[in-house]
Amino acid sequence: MTDKNDSKPGPDSVARIDANADMAQPAQPNLKWMGKSHQWGTRVKPGKHGLRLGDLNVGIYGEVPPVWTDQTRAPRGAVARRGVPPLGYAIRDKVDLWADSAADMYEEAIQRRWAPATSVPWDTIAPLPDDVERAICQVCTELSQYANADVESVTHWQAQMAYGYHEIKQFLATVSFDGARHMEVFRKRALCNGGGLGLEGPGEVNRMILESRGGWTEAVLYLFVVRGLFTQTMYRYLERYAHNDAERTIFAHCLEDKARHLTYAIDHLRYAINHQDDQNLILQQLCMIGERVLVRELKDGVLREALAIVFGNGISGAQAGLQIHGRMMADYIKRYLATLKWLGVERRTLFPEELSAYLKVS
Amino acid sequence: MARFPSTEWFDDVRKVFNTDESYQGGGGGACNALMGVKIGAHSFLITFEGAECSAAAQVQESDLEAADFILEMAYSDWRDMVENIAQNGRADLHHTLNTLDLGRPEGLSHSAHGDQYREDLFFRYNQTMQYFFDASARVKTQFAE
Repeated sequence: MTDKNDSKPGPDSVARIDANADMAQPAQPNLKWMGKSHQWGTRVKPGKHGLRLGDLNVGIYGEVPPVWTDQTRAPRGAVARRGVPPLGYAIRDKVDLWADSAADMYEEAIQRRWAPATSVPWDTIAPLPDDVERAICQVCTELSQYANADVESVTHWQAQMAYGYHEIKQFLATVSFDGARHMEVFRKRALCNGGGLGLEGPGEVNRMILESRGGWTEAVLYLFVVRGLFTQTMYRYLERYAHNDAERTIFAHCLEDKARHLTYAIDHLRYAINHQDDQNLILQQLCMIGERVLVRELKDGVLREALAIVFGNGISGAQAGLQIHGRMMADYIKRYLATLKWLGVERRTLFPEELSAYLKVS
Repeated sequence: MARFPSTEWFDDVRKVFNTDESYQGGGGGACNALMGVKIGAHSFLITFEGAECSAAAQVQESDLEAADFILEMAYSDWRDMVENIAQNGRADLHHTLNTLDLGRPEGLSHSAHGDQYREDLFFRYNQTMQYFFDASARVKTQFAE
């Protein structure tokens, strides 16, 4: 056995020490990178509302090309490094993701943020009748699933978007955070008042959103217009029929978040329609598909019954609650059709009878 | 004591709204919108810029066309809302802007232009608008009728 203390440094160990000594020496700087800039001397000044993302779009930094050819993660306006292997983006055409409002919406999402832990007056929640508590918990269960679909869909597509359109990626990061916050707040509401999560929703529309394969524009239509407007209308009615200040606060805040998502959606869809031949016809076809899936999902009565109990303040008032649910559906369909009409997407053809029936009743 | 409705009343509300930082947190915050308010025969334009409500002016009804969205109710309904806010410190569950919009056959919010993007500001900034009217709880109000 060799005693480590007796061993003497051999030639190898000397070499290692020398090498370490060389590494410890500071390298001679050549500073050639300092001359690498396409536009130096940029001085963006903060405006009345601070230094906003959109304010940075000056000179070459504000040039947003119709196609982003770079396949690396080079920031827009930076000098590309030669020889960087491509990582590949699937969405490189501006028409497939752009919305002029994205930079402002990014700022707005950050400035108008809220925190479920502290922004909601949880202490205003008092015990509710068992049927009402079960109903609101069921609604929250399904809404948290909706929010999860938001997160998963957005993050899936976000990774495929070229970095050159960074405003869109940044805004969508706030959308996925909004989704995470909604998952959080609905879970908290379900678990804070003696109830718990209920039955998983049918998930047909979620599947349609998550399996959109035709591109981000298709996903935008399904996620933010077909589903998003439905969710937003539901938030409005749940705020209207809230049983306490906590629920009112939850749905009022979620309503604002959802409205921001819709603003991006209609801005993007309008851009896509204006810059791509027949895009409105494509969206029309997609609507027909999406509406049929929505009709299938609506045949599941769980959410409708739960909402009727919430609106009617109990099973005994569920009949009146069903009428309110009918008005909610009519409001949703009116708004859905008005939004599509404003976008230039005609929806008179093959509009499902199951949906137009709500308009007749109202 | 400011008379409702009047520019002075809206200016008093603006002062409260602009000096209370709590209205900027918890879902409030930057807001850029031109809100029209029609109270019976009286029309007003209220300007929101960033973190503040920067102006309020009584205008002709035709001037409301410039508004992103218009909140319109009969005088008695506005009075009911303002009184409710004064009694509770803020709108109760039956008097929020969203509730009033849903609860009335003709709604509360509409526009003269039909531009979906601008109409939707009512939803995007709903809490800010609610906070604005809630600020009137701290304004001494004399009603015109």
